[in-house]
Amino acid sequence: MKWLRDILDKIAPTFKASGKLEKLYPIFEATDTILFSTGERTHSGPHIRDSVDVKRVMILVVIALIPCYIFGAMNVGYQMAVALGQTSTLQENLMNGAFKILPIIAVAFASGAFWELLFAVVRRHPVSEGFLVTCALIPLVMPPTIPLWQVAVATTFGIVIGKEIFGGVGMNIFNPALVARAFLFFTYPGRISGDKVWASGPDGYSGATALAVPAAELSQDAVTLLDSVTQFDFSWINLFMGWIPGSIGETSTLWIMVGAVFLALTGIASWRVMAGAILGLTGMAALTNFMAEITGSTNTMLTLPAHYHLVMGGFAFSVAFMATEPVTGAHTDKGRWIYGIFIGGLTVIIRSINPAYPEGAMLAILLMNAFASLIDYFVIQGNIKRRMVRYAQ
Amino acid sequence: MNHIIIRKGHDIRIAGVPSQEVTSVPGSETVAISPKTFRGVKPKLLVNEGDTVQIGSPLFFDKAKPNVKWASPANGTVKTIQFGARRIIEKIEIKVDGSESIQGQVFTSEQLTSANRTTILNRILEANLFPLIRQRPFNKVANPKNFPRDIFISAVNTAPLSVDLDPVIESEKAAFQAGVTALSKLTDGNVVVTSKKAMELQHAEVQTISGPHPAGNVGIQIHQSKPIKPGEIIWSVNAQHVITLGKLFLNGSYSPDILVTIAGPGATNPQTVSAKVGARIGSLILNQDLSEPTRLISGNVLTGQTVEVDNFLGFYDSSVSIVLDTVDRPFMGMLAVGNSKSKYSITNTFLTFGEKLFNFNTAQNGELRAMVPINAWENVLPMDVYPNALYRAILAQDIEEMEQLGMLECDDEDFALCSFSCPSKIDVGKVIRDGLNMLEAEG
Repeated sequence: MKWLRDILDKIAPTFKASGKLEKLYPIFEATDTILFSTGERTHSGPHIRDSVDVKRVMILVVIALIPCYIFGAMNVGYQMAVALGQTSTLQENLMNGAFKILPIIAVAFASGAFWELLFAVVRRHPVSEGFLVTCALIPLVMPPTIPLWQVAVATTFGIVIGKEIFGGVGMNIFNPALVARAFLFFTYPGRISGDKVWASGPDGYSGATALAVPAAELSQDAVTLLDSVTQFDFSWINLFMGWIPGSIGETSTLWIMVGAVFLALTGIASWRVMAGAILGLTGMAALTNFMAEITGSTNTMLTLPAHYHLVMGGFAFSVAFMATEPVTGAHTDKGRWIYGIFIGGLTVIIRSINPAYPEGAMLAILLMNAFASLIDYFVIQGNIKRRMVRYAQ
Repeated sequence: MNHIIIRKGHDIRIAGVPSQEVTSVPGSETVAISPKTFRGVKPKLLVNEGDTVQIGSPLFFDKAKPNVKWASPANGTVKTIQFGARRIIEKIEIKVDGSESIQGQVFTSEQLTSANRTTILNRILEANLFPLIRQRPFNKVANPKNFPRDIFISAVNTAPLSVDLDPVIESEKAAFQAGVTALSKLTDGNVVVTSKKAMELQHAEVQTISGPHPAGNVGIQIHQSKPIKPGEIIWSVNAQHVITLGKLFLNGSYSPDILVTIAGPGATNPQTVSAKVGARIGSLILNQDLSEPTRLISGNVLTGQTVEVDNFLGFYDSSVSIVLDTVDRPFMGMLAVGNSKSKYSITNTFLTFGEKLFNFNTAQNGELRAMVPINAWENVLPMDVYPNALYRAILAQDIEEMEQLGMLECDDEDFALCSFSCPSKIDVGKVIRDGLNMLEAEG
């Protein structure tokens, strides 16, 4: 790779101060340091440094998403075949699915990169690797039927409003990928509200999503109802495996778990947030089940047990990859537990008690993003109080 | 006996571990003290170029505390006094010639035990060794007018590639005990000695500590046993300097020799040598092959200062670290699996479980970014302090909040590991120091 290094070294002066393309330095710098690790040395402080950097952190998140991508492509292909009433092999599914989702990925990355680079050049800050993760997440939370222009608009909104207006990665309040999805959710609810299935198929092909099934019926048992669906296999194990229609990356709890465990082991994602969310979800689901029993409510969603909540809709995906985003979540360990528990609990509340949207994880996380600093505030006040008591002794 | 277990922290597996056997090297031809390196001290010279000095004779004093003077570590003549910008005294260099030292009163251990505060304090001041005592908060030279709550001595070094203090204290037990006894007169509280294993000591409270770096930092030991409160002052003395003080009382003279490790991935012959305080770096690394580009550091790799061969060992330093200064730029380095000698991470983001010791170089391994809070700081800071919140309070220059968050209990050396492990490459230690300076300026 010496030839590439030589080329970069040769054109470097053009981008340095008083070079012809000085303004485009952030773009050159980003290309240079993505291709070759930075040659920067320590100046002050510790003379030696850990090998991990933000680039590594971000690229590992992208790597953790690869299983979801591969499964997502296969599932999209499979759902197409089901819709058309054909049988197909795994390879055919993968090929057909990849053909569907690659344009979405390409559009997300192209529009994301455009805005990130534009802001880097105009605002003269280095290109932040965070946009890689945002752009990798956005296609996974999009239905395969999404029009490409909507992907571009959503990515633009997510990157610009969700992140750049705050000053870039590290300063944002809301998770940019979720902002992108929420934007579509509220502006084009017909396509992305989560009550109709998203599968590429013949025109007019449709059906109810797993979450919409119990939401649509009164005074029934949710699990029996799901088992009685004939169009799709909504058994627990199939919901867990993910061979159901849905957004590209969110259906397979199994492969999401693989990515989540990887992120938790590397220490990039906080296991406390994930554990808290599962705890909150379980607790709240137990409460709604109990309520359904004692109040005799006609709301079927109240009877949905926790293990179904866990594998349905976007909960697993959002908790593993969105809630654990370190910047927009709580920053203290205690705060992360509370933040996670609330996300889990709110997801169930929005799903079962709010009749407008069958899906609740996205809104729960966005809401908790807004409250993360407040949670941290109370945790830190606790620390300050302890200290003040000690000082007073 | 109090036992402290430190769970957060990290022992960096850096190559070039020094043999603890003491190697003799030829003495340094010149030694120097750099007055500008002492925090908050306004130095005023007591010698001129060409003056002859003895070991222990005063070189300069602090205008704010005129009885605090610095002793010459060598006998000889003042070769140069180098001034920097605005007449800052860069260094006082002494050409070594002979080993005459100023003799003072000799104390038997009984005399030492029955002595009072004034006697001991005056003896240390008149021997010009008071600067060996530092104070917390702010980690600066202590003020003899203060009455410290306690005096803390760390008898364990956990910093990378440092001198193993156990055998040193063992072999100088009498002097160490004398130093501890003398120091115990200076406080109404305790002399708290923290060590790895239990130790028989009189006139001191001994506590043990286990766990990774920064367990050996006195700031952590204070925080874990009896945290400092506003208005309180704690003194601390390096274990090797306690021996120096002990010898002052037992022999009546200043013995400026301490053990220094010469170590690090760039050291071809990592070893421990006996050297004078302020020895010339060049004299300490005579038997190291430095044909590769290396960075010399006075002090440890986390908190030391970059030096050249012609510079001198820092006053409080007891190691010279040598790291490689060659930084290569691997293609697609961010995707590297990492099972090599160069990728080292506290996090599990590289597969480096198999390797034992790593050849660190001066690579920053990334560019400066906004903070991405993945607990990199919290995992290596064994304090009941939220570094993230404190960092932001300092950036916001919010003095009140800094104090509430425990600024007074912190010192930059305790946060050095945070800078080491930070994925955003933020120099947390420097920011902590800025915060302390702000707080001190505020009064």
